[in-house]
Amino acid sequence: MNLELQKGSRSKILAAIVFGTMAIFVVRLFYLQILQHDYYVGLAKETQVKRLTIPSKRGLIYALDGQTPVPLVMNQEVYTVFADPLIVVEDDKIINTIKRIAGGNARDNLQALLDKKDSRYQILATRVTRLQADKIKAEDLSGIGFQEISERVYPEGSLAAQTLGFVNFEGIASYGIESKLDKRLTGTDGLLQSVTDVSDVPLTIGNDNINRPPVNGENIVLSIDRNIQSHVEQALADGLKRTGATRGSAIMVDPQSGKILAMANLPTYNPAKFNEVKDAAAFNNGVVSAPYEPGSDVKTLTMATGIDKGVVTADATYNNTDYIQIDDRTITNATLGQTGIITFQHALNWSLNTGFVTVAERLGDGKSITRGARDIMYDYFYNKFHLGQLTGVEVSGETTGTVISPATEEGNAVRYSNMAFGQGLDVTMVQVAAAFSSITNGGKYYKPTVLAGVVDKDGAYIANKTSTSSVAISKSAADQVREMTHVARNTFFSSVDKPGYYIGGKTGTSQVIKDGNYSTDETIGTYLGYGGTENVSKYVIMVQVSGDHKTLQGARDALPIFTDISNWMLEYIKLQPKG
Amino acid sequence: MYYQRTQNFSSRRQQNWSRNQNTVAFVSAIKLGPVTHTVLVALMITVLGLIYLTQATRATSYDYETQKIDSQIAELNTQKSDLQIENARLTALQAVKNSSVASTMVAPTSTNYVAQ
Repeated sequence: MNLELQKGSRSKILAAIVFGTMAIFVVRLFYLQILQHDYYVGLAKETQVKRLTIPSKRGLIYALDGQTPVPLVMNQEVYTVFADPLIVVEDDKIINTIKRIAGGNARDNLQALLDKKDSRYQILATRVTRLQADKIKAEDLSGIGFQEISERVYPEGSLAAQTLGFVNFEGIASYGIESKLDKRLTGTDGLLQSVTDVSDVPLTIGNDNINRPPVNGENIVLSIDRNIQSHVEQALADGLKRTGATRGSAIMVDPQSGKILAMANLPTYNPAKFNEVKDAAAFNNGVVSAPYEPGSDVKTLTMATGIDKGVVTADATYNNTDYIQIDDRTITNATLGQTGIITFQHALNWSLNTGFVTVAERLGDGKSITRGARDIMYDYFYNKFHLGQLTGVEVSGETTGTVISPATEEGNAVRYSNMAFGQGLDVTMVQVAAAFSSITNGGKYYKPTVLAGVVDKDGAYIANKTSTSSVAISKSAADQVREMTHVARNTFFSSVDKPGYYIGGKTGTSQVIKDGNYSTDETIGTYLGYGGTENVSKYVIMVQVSGDHKTLQGARDALPIFTDISNWMLEYIKLQPKG
Repeated sequence: MYYQRTQNFSSRRQQNWSRNQNTVAFVSAIKLGPVTHTVLVALMITVLGLIYLTQATRATSYDYETQKIDSQIAELNTQKSDLQIENARLTALQAVKNSSVASTMVAPTSTNYVAQ
């Protein structure tokens, strides 16, 4: 039987059509699958593969409670509740539910918001907690959505507000630790790239899956002790109320390590409500960012310079006439009458300017503040005590202040005579406290720090290594000045301290420069002191009070605040009294 | 009684004889046609496809399990975080100072020191 198709038969035509059609399919498939392969694979990936960013968590900030970290700044997931007015149908139910559950976080004019039918997004409540959000979700309201955001929460309220800073609504860190250590606190977002199903559930199929987990920010532990910080803030607030001052700052440093135990400023604010602050000055940390003429506190540093250079001692004498002539300027004492041959200890007790100008003169030829004397003073003030430069303390907004070099025209003898008793230079409190710490610890300068360590991902506290120190002055000179400040305090204020401890300090009353001249109706009161035993200083405290058109004094206004903090501190650290 | 041969043997020695070559070739009496071959191949492909689908589905079902567990972990972490915040608030200095326990505390009358 012959099965060959007849030429021109219908079967042959059909076969030709089938083959032709198949050929078209083959060509088309070749074009789609081979030539256009990359294009269609890309299209497929666009719909099948999802790239999800896994947000990292911002690091927490801890203070210490003794040696235990306690959280000062944490993260909380909160929700913004929004409505699509076009979809919403149960207005009354929505309004009642939002008001009942969100309470004060709900917007006032909910009905007006829902009536805006030309809008697809109206915020009904903000900062709603997860629990509240779950309750609203359970009501199954149509047209209502939730947007999750992470916000900082502050369990201790306004404690150490200026040291912490805050993160604003745009997520930008502002002020304090938040700003200064933003890179360490900010983590790295993770990435999840995967084929997903219609519900966006990641599936393991596919070759291009990426699962890079997020790296959270560092959890930073401050050297701030929350109990000390709380008491310092309370003592400062009480002091301001007592004196009528409107501004106050205080810092406490561990002189044996440079660690800052407390740093307070008033007026203050609650970082959780930073947007309600009327005066942005409340955000500034005056301890590090407000240079001022420190006044008589600096006499301790001048005395340390003179003793370290061997030109004076506490018992050395000079002739006090209550005034001293430097070039064309006459410098007088604030307290008059202690005239005659007196010791430098006596000059420190009575805070006599002439005594410390005399020290400056003796650093030179003994009669005038020569260039050599000015070079020595500058070397000690700037290079050894680190005044007039950034200390590197880890909070934002630190300013350098100014110590004029003797190499400049302004660095003349008059300038340096003023600097000898604390005028003619601008410094910050943290600079002065760090410099004075070197006098109370045997001559070692520690860079002030507000960091104590970190809390790792397992929750373990890892303390920083003790920082290294540089030699500011000899131990002998430091001990002599420490003793002098102890005597100075006890000359007038021996009864205010708890007995059995070794407390010393120096008052300071600084004039304020307004419009280029010293103001006659405004002074800043400061007190700079230490406490501990005869052998070891446990803390250095510096207090400053001020106010517009207020004449505040170191002894009358700042010293009682120091005493309050010091006496409390002695109990807090359970230091055994002598005898 | 006799035996009927069910298979045919044919010697190839007669045709191409050489050393160490089988001299007997097996030829099945059952002949499979092209349709049968096609059906068998299709069945094999179907079975292999089913096996592949079973395995792929099983792997995907693990994805859903993983997703469920991940969601549980995230939920528990959120709850843990909320509890940590609540704990921090309850143990904050101001909360402790205002607590009923603190209000009944009195200052010590004397202090003993262990060492200086």
